[in-house]
Order: sequence, then structure tokens, then C-alpha cells
Amino acid sequence: MKASVASLYQSVEFHQEIPPLLIGERCNPNGSKAFKEALLAEDWDACLKVALDQEARGAQVLDLCVAYAGRDEVADMLQLTKLCAGSCKAPLMFDSTSPDTLELVLPLYPGRAIINSINLEDGGANLDRICRLAKKYGAAVVALTINVEGMALTCDKKLAVAKDIYDLAVNKHGLRPQDILFDLLTFTVGSGDETMRDAAIETLNAIKLVKQELPGVGFTLGISNISFGLRPAARKVLNSIFLHEAVEAGLNTAIVDAAKVLPYATISEEDRKICFDLLFNRHPEALMAFIDYFEQAVEQDDSESEESFSSEELLRQKILKGDKEGLDDLLTTLRGRWQPLDIINNLLVPAMREVGELFGRGDLLLPFVLQSAEAMKQSVVLLEPYMEKLADDGRTSVLLATVAGDVHDIGKNLVDIILSNNGYKVHNIGIKVSAEEIIAKAKELQVDVIGLSGLLVKSALLMKDNLSQFQAVGLTQPVLLGGAALTTKFVAVDCAPNYQQPVAYCADAFAGLKAIRDFETGKLLSTQWEESSVAKNRPGPQQEVLDRSFSPPVVPFVGRKLVTDIDAEKLFSYLNEAALFRGRWGYRRGKMSKEGYAELTINTVQPLFQRLKDQSLNEGWLQPKVTYGYFDCVSQGDSLLINSDSGEKVFSFPRQTNAPGLCIADYLRNAEEGGDKVGFFVVTLGHQLAEKTKQLYESDSYHDYLMLHGLGVELTDALAEYWHEKMRVEMGIQQVRGDMCAYVAQGYQGSRYGFGYPSCPDLGAHGSLFEMLQPEEIGVTLTESFEMVPEMSTSAIIVHHPQAKYFAV
Amino acid sequence: MRYICTCCGYVYDPEKGDSMNKIPEGVEFDDLPESWVCPLCYAECDKFDLLD
Repeated sequence: MKASVASLYQSVEFHQEIPPLLIGERCNPNGSKAFKEALLAEDWDACLKVALDQEARGAQVLDLCVAYAGRDEVADMLQLTKLCAGSCKAPLMFDSTSPDTLELVLPLYPGRAIINSINLEDGGANLDRICRLAKKYGAAVVALTINVEGMALTCDKKLAVAKDIYDLAVNKHGLRPQDILFDLLTFTVGSGDETMRDAAIETLNAIKLVKQELPGVGFTLGISNISFGLRPAARKVLNSIFLHEAVEAGLNTAIVDAAKVLPYATISEEDRKICFDLLFNRHPEALMAFIDYFEQAVEQDDSESEESFSSEELLRQKILKGDKEGLDDLLTTLRGRWQPLDIINNLLVPAMREVGELFGRGDLLLPFVLQSAEAMKQSVVLLEPYMEKLADDGRTSVLLATVAGDVHDIGKNLVDIILSNNGYKVHNIGIKVSAEEIIAKAKELQVDVIGLSGLLVKSALLMKDNLSQFQAVGLTQPVLLGGAALTTKFVAVDCAPNYQQPVAYCADAFAGLKAIRDFETGKLLSTQWEESSVAKNRPGPQQEVLDRSFSPPVVPFVGRKLVTDIDAEKLFSYLNEAALFRGRWGYRRGKMSKEGYAELTINTVQPLFQRLKDQSLNEGWLQPKVTYGYFDCVSQGDSLLINSDSGEKVFSFPRQTNAPGLCIADYLRNAEEGGDKVGFFVVTLGHQLAEKTKQLYESDSYHDYLMLHGLGVELTDALAEYWHEKMRVEMGIQQVRGDMCAYVAQGYQGSRYGFGYPSCPDLGAHGSLFEMLQPEEIGVTLTESFEMVPEMSTSAIIVHHPQAKYFAV
Repeated sequence: MRYICTCCGYVYDPEKGDSMNKIPEGVEFDDLPESWVCPLCYAECDKFDLLD
């Protein structure tokens, strides 16, 4: 059961998809002058207005505090609760430490409220009463780490008090852990008090620690306390940074002035640094530096506040930041001045062009580009109802297809995202598209440019053939080629001569964008290859003489087995994080400082990883399954003869043409040597993940689409790594769980060669492999070009010879 | 300075060199020959990212 609270109208989960849940703090006479005046004047409508205003500005729960000297807390609380219960959609948080008040107000509330708060200041008497009320009325509680000694200042004290409260609330009173929101207390770092320099650090560390020690509990914090005593403009920035850090630490709800939370992305690097220095007590002068800095920044803030930017400039900034908040209002304003199409062509497209330039210079990482594209897409969707019909005439149109036999569409779809969000008309006709179909569509749609994509080596060869067919039927569009198996040389030497129009190699989506722009200005040329370019190495073990004295391993069984009960969480410990973060996801360090990159990792990459990991596991997107086996075999020249239940199989492997002339078959014993044992596997993450990524793509969630796809690819590899380890242990060539870092560099005995990879590029071997392992039973099938479906599947031959390592033929 | 392959996670450490590519110890990443590729996944130099 997910922890949530409810009003008469709606329920709200504590764990928001994008944390934190914002709890409005303004209905408090000690925090809001307007509310205090209204309360003292008993102007209940004005009090309600403070509540409704907060809702309008994003508060998802409303804190209600009426304790004020000279007022009757019970009467005021009852009055306002009745009013708010009927008028506010957001659930209420009763901010009172008086069990008497709570006892009267809780039964009145038509929903599930939060009690703010319990503590151990009096040793536990009030806590006992309030917990009983919480249990009786099903309320959640905020627990402050205060005991008879006072407020807990250090991380250790906070943890100790939290544990004491947890013990009472959960074990004695039967509240569920998720019903407790710990407020581990925030103290200002702005007072200059020497003993409070680490106040932020203590609180942030405490959140992490309590989260670890008391699983399941939630957190809240009165964020603005962190900056008490500082100037308002500076507080807004510091509070927002602190909130961001607290959320990174695990905070899931926050008591804030919802209107004053700045999106982290809108805070400049310089502002962030000044705030970090203060929050993390990085140097003795941090507070003075902060005050000095914001002394000036305040004035800048006045002249450059959001309101003073033109709407046009604001839109540009939103696209650059990938900020979708408030686009609707902003575009409504802009529609008063511009035609919708002009907003697209004169404002949005130039902003996206800027995004592309930033990416090109290495100043913007791919995930952020995708967020910009999402903001662009949303803007266009919001403008579409006001346009006659997006005028296609004049717009350059592009046909995109993944070639026949190839199911990979992430590359093609990225190109689609980048091109269509730069104003081009894209016809994305899918995967496994034959040359005939491409030709027919190119004619029918009268596109200006054709883009072909494909991951496989075979796809590269197919592109070359497709071009001959395009030439034969007289197509006149330039063709852009992209895909992992392509090289500049291959496109220039093997592809371009087959077609009379320009044939250009595009290494990534932005190279594709550039090619389209070159086409528009008449500058698009076929890719060139200079013979002087240096030929690339063929690295590999510098083979000495191959040791023939080894004996075959003892295998636990001969034949194949299915394994369907694999714990998906286990795969994460085999994940190659560097390849995921820096490669698949594009969070490369590039020009960043070491600290800058560490910050990006901690603040952005790790939380994203954690979110996707949690979602994948909780929602059952990962269904790891394996079919594997060990077989008797005999090596014969470049081939391996396998004796299996489905008859004798022959696997032929290519041999390096240059020294040392390696071939996989060499690592296994021939007939004279008495034959050998060899392993094979097919592993898959199942179909769910493919479904989910498809949904994300179709709903224009570009960023998450790329991230989840990348995670899936690396988890597939993790599963292969895991199973390879399992097989080594079964064969007795490895004793215990090894070290993942060493695994990356093949720090184990033997090797795992994937079909379709450089040591055995031919996917055709899948035909025999599938007869032997029958992966259809774990839901894996083959396309006509022997590619596995679902995409998140991989296969390998497992060789035990100690000298066997990766090489490329 | 060490560099990491963003495709496979291989780390090029100048102190160790790279025997698979016959690179002796002491060669900085920037001084690797143009023909050099990742010894594990054959990615080219531009796929490498500064590690520390």
C-alpha cells in the first residue's frame, strides 16, 4: 500500500514521481503576515484565500497552524478545518502539538490528514496520546527529533531520537513506518553561529542514515529555516538549493512556500557554488562570501526577475532548460502577439538550434537535450489547436527507416526526436523496412531526404545494396546513413559510389541535423574518405603459443536447461555503470571539472538511476530468463562440431587474416586431443521493458525513453555477465563471486563471445544455437536475419581456455 | 591521467600502458597513436572520457 493522504476530493501520495511533495506553510500566523492579520480579524474568507493561493501555486498538502498568543486554538482550528475541508482539494496537515485540539479536529476532517507533530520533549506523554489518535483516525504523523534534552543537532542524536520515536509509534502504537514523516530539524546556516556551521550537513546526513536504519519511513523538513536571518532574495536561492540537496538525500515531502521554490535547473552554476560552499561548510568565509555575493545579486535579481524578462526570452530559456512548467500560460501570452506558426519558426526553432549548438560544443549533455526536445514538443502540441494545420509546404521532409531484418530503433528514433523538434517534417516508417517499401514511401510522400538506420553489421551491407536499388529506380533524394556498424570509410568507399545523389554518414542525431541543414543550403556532399587516414588497430592477446595441455572442465550436466526464477535485483550488482552513465546515457564528463562531474553524478545521475531501478523492480519491467547448456564438442579447423540432442551442429568461426590469426575454434580441443566441453547461453530481460520504452517514446517522454532503453541494454549485459559467472563456477574454473571491475577487463578464466560481436560477427549461428537451446521457451525468437527479439536479449558461446580473450576478426 | 571507455568501461591507465595494443607503460592517453582503439570493444579515442 503506497503511503498517501486524502482530502474530501483527492488522495495524494507521499512519494511523488518527482519529489518532493510540497506542503504549503503559509497558513500559519507565525509565518505569514496576511494569515495572521486575517486570523486576528477573524476574517475566515481571507484565511481560506491564503490556503487556496498556495494550492494554485503548487502546494499539494496544506499545513494549518492557528496557535497564536491570545487566541483559542481549538475554536480557530475547528472553524478553519470546516472551511478548508470543503474548499481545498489539497489534504490538510494539522499543525498542533496539543492532543486536545487534535482530538476534536481529527473526527471532523473528511479525509486522511497528517498530524504535525509528535516529539519526545516531555518524555512521551503527548506522543502516546497523539499516536493513539493517529491510529484511531488513520492519520499520518510528522515526528520531530526533539527529546527531553532538547532539539537534536547532530546526525547521531537525530538518529537516536528518531529510533526512539519509531519504537514507540510503530512497535507500541502500531502505526506503519510509512505513516511517519520524520522532520530531522533544520537550523539556519545564516546566523554566523560557529556551532551551527555543519547544520545542513548534519540534517542531510541524518536523512540518509535514518532512511537506511528505519526502512519505509518518510521525511519532511521546514526548508526555509535553513536561511533564517538572511535577505529574502538570497533565502529563496539557498532554500531551493537546500531543498534540492535534501531531496537527493531522500527527503520525500517538504514544508515550503510553494511559490518560492526555484527549479534547480534555473539556478546558475555560480549561485549554486556559493550556496554549496555555505551549506557544506566548505571554507571559513563561506557565509561572508554568500552575503556579499547576494548583496549584489539582489539588485540584479530585481532588474532581471522572471517578470522583467520578455515572454519571448522566457520561452527561449524554458526550451534551453527543458522546463515544461508554465508553458501553457506563457504560450497563451505569446499567442496574443504572434501567430502560432511564427512562435514555432521564430522562437522555438531558434532555441532548439541553440540547444544543438550547446550540445555540439560539449556544453550540454544528451539527456538535457532530450528534455529541451520534450519542452519543444509540448509547446508545439499546445500551439497545434490554434493552427489551421501545421503547414507542411516549404518544410524539409525526411523519411526515416531501420533497414530490413533489423529491429533496433533507438538510433532512428533519436534522429526523429531531434529533427522533428527542429521543425522538420519527419516520416518515421519503422523498423525492418525493405528497400521496396522505402522506395514506395519516398515516392508517395515526396520526401526531400531519406535516412537509413541499422545497428547490425548485416544492416550496413544492406544499406549498400539498398542504394543500388534506389539508383536503379531513379530516386533523387540524398541519403543519410547512421548506425553502429558504419564507418566513414565504409560509407565513402562502399556506399556512396552506388548512388548518384549525396550519401552522407551521420555519426549521431546532430550530424543528421547538420546534414539536413547542409541539404537546405545546397551544401550537402557525399562523405569523403582520405586514403592517408590511419588504419585502426586490431587489438587482442598477442598470442604466444596456444597451450594445448589443458583438460576439459567438469560440467554439471550435458544438454540444456531453462532458468526462469532469477532475482532481477541481483542484476544491478553486475551492471557496468560507467558504460551506462557515460555511454548509454551520455552523462560524459567532457570538459567538466572533477568536482563538477562528481556533483552531476550525485545530484542527477545517481537519483535518476535509483528512480529507474526502483520503478523497474517495483513495476515488474524486468523478467530475466536464461536458457543455457553444456555440450560435447570437437574442434576441427575453424569449426566446432557439437553433439546435441537435436543432432550434430557445426559452428564455423572466422579467423583473423593478420597475425596472430586467432579463431574461436582454436581454444577447444580437437578429436585427437579427445574433444572438449563448451557452453552456450541465451539470456533475456523479457518483453515488458520493450513495451515500456515504446510507451515512453509514444508519449514524447524522450528523456526517460533513452534512459530506460540504455538501462535495459546494460542490464541485458549484466545478466550475461551474471550467467557467465554462474557457468564458470559450475565448471569449477572460478570459486567465488569475483570483482565486477575486473570483469569489465575479462579478469576471469576463459571468455564469452557474443554472436554478432567482433570475434564471431555472423548472427547466422543463431539458427543452430536456437535448435540446441530452444530460447522460444523463454520468449526469445529470431527475425529473418537471425536477430533476437525482444531486443533486450543476448547470446554467447562460453569457452574455458585460459588464453581465450576478446579479439576482433 | 586515466581515461575510461564510455562503451565498455575499460580504463586506460598510462602507468600500465596497454599490452593488447602493444603500448608500453608511461604513454599518456593524448600521446596514443592514431591507430589505437579500445582493447576490449574497439571503440575509438573519441569515445573515451576523462576519469580523474
